[in-house]
Amino acid sequence: MADNVSTANSTPAPSEAEALSKNARKKELKNKQKEEERRRKEEEKEKKAAAMPKSVVQKPSAADDEDMDPTQYFDNRLKTLAAQKAAGLNPYPHKFHVTMSILEYIEKYETLNSGDHLEDVQVSLAGRLMNKRSSSSKLFFYDLHGSGGKVQVMADARRSDLDEAEFSKYHSGVKRGDIVGIIGFPGKSKRGELSIFPKSFIVLSHCLHMMPRQKSAAAADNPNAKNIDAWTPGSVRNPDAYILKDQETRYRQRYLDLMVNSEVRHIFKTRAKIVSYVRRFLDNLDFLEVETPMMNMIAGGAAARPFVTHHNDLNMTLYMRIAPELYLKELVVGGLERVYEIGKQFRNEGIDLTHNPEFTTCEFYMAFADYNDLMELTEQMLSGMVKELTGGYKIKYHANGLDNDPIEIDFTPPFRRIDMIGELEKIANLSIPKDLAGEEANKYLAKACTDFDIKCPPPQTTTRLLDKLVGHFLEETCVNPAFIINHPEIMSPLAKWHRSKPGLTERFELFINKHELANAYTELNDPVVQRQRFADQLKDRQSGDDEAMALDETFCTALEYGLPPTGGWGLGIDRLAMLLTDSQNIKEVLLFPAMKPQDEPPVKAVENLKI
Amino acid sequence: MEALGLKVWSSKPLRHLFHLASSSSSPLPTSKSYLSSFSSSSSSIRCCSSSSTAAAATAAVRKQGGRGRRSPADSTTNSTSDRDAIRAIRLKKVEELRSKGFEPYAYKWDRTHTANQLQEIYKHLENGEESNGEDDQVSISGRIVARRAFGKLAFLTLRDDSGTIQLYCEKERLADDQFEQLKSLVDIGDILGACGSIKRTEKGELSVCVNSFLILTKSLLPLPDKFHGLTDVDKRYRQRYVDMIANPDVADVFRKRAKIVSIIRQTVESVGFIEVDTPVLQGAAGGAEARPFITHHNSLGRDLYLRIATELHLKRMLVGGFEKVYEIGRIFRNEGISTRHNPEFTTIEIYEAYSDYESMMNMAEEIVTQCALAVNGKLTVDYQGVEINLERPWRRETMHNLVKEATGIDFSELGNDLNAVKEETFSKLNIGANSQERHLIEACTSVGRLLNEVFEMVVEPTLVQPTFVLDYPVEVSPLAKPHRRHAGLTERFELFICGRELGNAFSELTDPLDQRARLEEQVKQHNQKKEAAVSKDSDTKVDDDVSYEVTLDEDFLTALEYGMPPASGMGLGVDRLVMLLTNSASIRDVIAFPVLKIQQ
Repeated sequence: MADNVSTANSTPAPSEAEALSKNARKKELKNKQKEEERRRKEEEKEKKAAAMPKSVVQKPSAADDEDMDPTQYFDNRLKTLAAQKAAGLNPYPHKFHVTMSILEYIEKYETLNSGDHLEDVQVSLAGRLMNKRSSSSKLFFYDLHGSGGKVQVMADARRSDLDEAEFSKYHSGVKRGDIVGIIGFPGKSKRGELSIFPKSFIVLSHCLHMMPRQKSAAAADNPNAKNIDAWTPGSVRNPDAYILKDQETRYRQRYLDLMVNSEVRHIFKTRAKIVSYVRRFLDNLDFLEVETPMMNMIAGGAAARPFVTHHNDLNMTLYMRIAPELYLKELVVGGLERVYEIGKQFRNEGIDLTHNPEFTTCEFYMAFADYNDLMELTEQMLSGMVKELTGGYKIKYHANGLDNDPIEIDFTPPFRRIDMIGELEKIANLSIPKDLAGEEANKYLAKACTDFDIKCPPPQTTTRLLDKLVGHFLEETCVNPAFIINHPEIMSPLAKWHRSKPGLTERFELFINKHELANAYTELNDPVVQRQRFADQLKDRQSGDDEAMALDETFCTALEYGLPPTGGWGLGIDRLAMLLTDSQNIKEVLLFPAMKPQDEPPVKAVENLKI
Repeated sequence: MEALGLKVWSSKPLRHLFHLASSSSSPLPTSKSYLSSFSSSSSSIRCCSSSSTAAAATAAVRKQGGRGRRSPADSTTNSTSDRDAIRAIRLKKVEELRSKGFEPYAYKWDRTHTANQLQEIYKHLENGEESNGEDDQVSISGRIVARRAFGKLAFLTLRDDSGTIQLYCEKERLADDQFEQLKSLVDIGDILGACGSIKRTEKGELSVCVNSFLILTKSLLPLPDKFHGLTDVDKRYRQRYVDMIANPDVADVFRKRAKIVSIIRQTVESVGFIEVDTPVLQGAAGGAEARPFITHHNSLGRDLYLRIATELHLKRMLVGGFEKVYEIGRIFRNEGISTRHNPEFTTIEIYEAYSDYESMMNMAEEIVTQCALAVNGKLTVDYQGVEINLERPWRRETMHNLVKEATGIDFSELGNDLNAVKEETFSKLNIGANSQERHLIEACTSVGRLLNEVFEMVVEPTLVQPTFVLDYPVEVSPLAKPHRRHAGLTERFELFICGRELGNAFSELTDPLDQRARLEEQVKQHNQKKEAAVSKDSDTKVDDDVSYEVTLDEDFLTALEYGMPPASGMGLGVDRLVMLLTNSASIRDVIAFPVLKIQQ
């Protein structure tokens, strides 16, 4: 269904491409310089290392470490490891038994009074140390992070099962970022901070690199830190205030992003909740979750450039799917009356703020239902989800960038319904010829685009012209969720002709914040008409529109066995996750977004326009 | 390339082609029940002119269309002409319906009940009893799969997603000429909506006494006979929808599959695991040893690999601070197809911080038994005639002991002299000079690999009842942690049921230096094999199995350097689990649209 979820073009303007390559050259130069510097440093280091007796292990104090050169820091850490291994110790223990998660710990002991110590209770916790302070060689403080929570560790030599010398030696070797296991008792400091007082303290895994940290020490104990932790779906985020800000690093090394920017973890929890809400919603309506192929001999069900691959053993060219639509309808023909699939789709298109080469959709097909039913279901699903995740129907979203105030998006049902052609004619004061497939309509719309100064790069097919006009006049008005309905047949090769409006189909697209989120229709199930529509698409392809749809013979045959009246629906999961997590870039909601190869100049996208 | 299937089409509307009957000499199959009741319309067929050019064009369309993704396997000449004749007749009916003001492809139908709900609600209705109070006015819909028609009475069997129910159609009860329409315009295969009251016939068949009906979708092609539909294995997979219509049990497999996946999710989420999505397209395909699919991203100007495992990305999540994560997702391997292998298949991988492989064994038991109970209601499974007992706990035994038990060879006593161990193996296993087995063993480059080879050869097929095989040699386990007590081994297990590997798990290797060394070794071994393959048969075909590139996933190694907590992880093959629990012999029976060879 989601055939138009991704409509953006992969063609950057030529000037943009030039800029790209210029940037690329700059970057290349920069990288070379970096590389050289690295080599120089390494050489220096080797000299130093050679000058130093091998048995001596450096033990810089915690504070000194942080000013050290990162390579040197890494090197020191490696030496520490080597020394441990040489001494017959295993620096990576196999197992540490945890009695509760840090969140459970907080929940259980938060109510302790300041100064309380439950010395006869024993708990074991594990997590990552994100902060280290020492007031003497006998007393160390750490922040232990795990499962989204944080607790203070107050390591006091008097309570340790190590003697004093061992204690201070061990703790001076513990670094920020290390993963530790702690057995101790709960308590609250005199200042009221929930803590654990370790009897034993063991490093389970070592952080060999310096962890990113907030620039100023004051900011590390940011009083807002609590608010950041309390982020909930539907409220605004401020990535500019993150400890790790650099976008490239955040996306390329997501694990670092997750470690130090506590909000990020909630983005992906929210995403999981969205998917699980959709699943529950459909399961409750007796839908069956199915899996259809991701590799096909034809990429059908939508119009987009597919990824191509090759099966060696079968000597077969395969395409990554661009939509599961046709297979799912075949299953409805087979008698599974309500099916859905939540899964990846693949489109070989440019990467931008709303497009990633692989993205996740949910499509469902419901026998004996039509697009009116689906609009109601859509309203129920989305408003119900927003209510459950945020507690209300309204969300905040930085639609105009972080520098401007966030807007409010209201999911209170019912959503507005906009009749596409009727509304377009009204707003733009047009009178579009009724026969949209004809030459006259094409000329009329081309002129309208020119008159309103709306650019439509060739080929100027009627479909593309209409798309531009609708984008300009209608989509722009859809901030709160709104259905644009009754698209012309020429734009919707898989949708059923409208029961009362000739030339149109029973289709809707859901727009929120001016972006398409869902696309659905009463499914075309007349096989003769379906073949005719594919033939019409061929004409568009021949006139150069490579986004026109290809014919799938197996699918047409399936229709000849009879597809019941069916409503079909597709939703872009990533885009929904963006809205509910105040993300303006799709990369924010993908754990591992596709990135340009590092250290290589990007290839100009323009070269690849033609298949 | 997408346009290929379309090119032969003229822009002339196809409608015209279909109006012409085929030139077949036997236009009407007489023996088939679905045609027996419309002799009136059969005459219209005979009147159709049979233009040979048009017929050829139709055939050409079909043939060309057959180059599509899975061309329909309906090419036996006889049945093709039958089908064309039937299609032509039914297209006439489509026209006739439209001319009478009915839309043969309706927009929607509101039903009050499914067939199964009615069977349940009225199960106490006595034979011959009728219920026609206000509450008994029902509306149902589904596909007509059988019909018998008499003078003023017709019985139709309607099947929906839930089951079947009979439609009892009396001429008197139907309005206007609906009974005549039923006889002349409704065929087996059509999708019908019907309203009426409830009655159980004298013969005990629960029925809807129809007082009105509507053709919701006119089918154009005849349903396959039971016999054809079931025996033509290839067609079953290529046209799964036909298979499902002809054989309702097939749909049950997919219902069970959905149930199994859902139970897996419930089981792991109930103990706090969170589902994440990691990328399918990757810069380096790691986490397993398998030939990957390669594709190309145009605007990045870069080759990408399809993932062969989700492991390395899920471990990055552990580094990032998620302590319990899982992913159910598609994996792709560019390898041959068989009853156990499809190029794309589904796995669940789960990773838990601060646990070891011991706890993963419990998790595996929990998942598989929960699924068995949900799907079959019991812990015994009949798989292809063998009874499998899933009662916990399952046998846990080390690879060393299993090999010793089966062969008498005690690898822990043999030392590290590879040649001596080989000789011992040949003599104990009675392996002849030129056998396949001998080649496999000769090829082993270390004692660990040899142990694994003997295990796979001798022990694997015998592990019918659920068995955890523990402590694999380090050489064959590049991502597993060294065993805490036994040098040379790892803390790893594989789960076997019915001689097949169902799961694979380890205490995860967390030491970045050890990991780097092992992956480098893997790359080296691969490149050696590759070179050997190239030089061995330089002018014949290069051994395809190893010709792909294996690269280090530097980014993963860097992640480990930031510190991954001690953890265990497991992968389970979802397709194989579904095969086991649905007693399916082939993986193609549990994948709705399996990959098949290109049809000639």
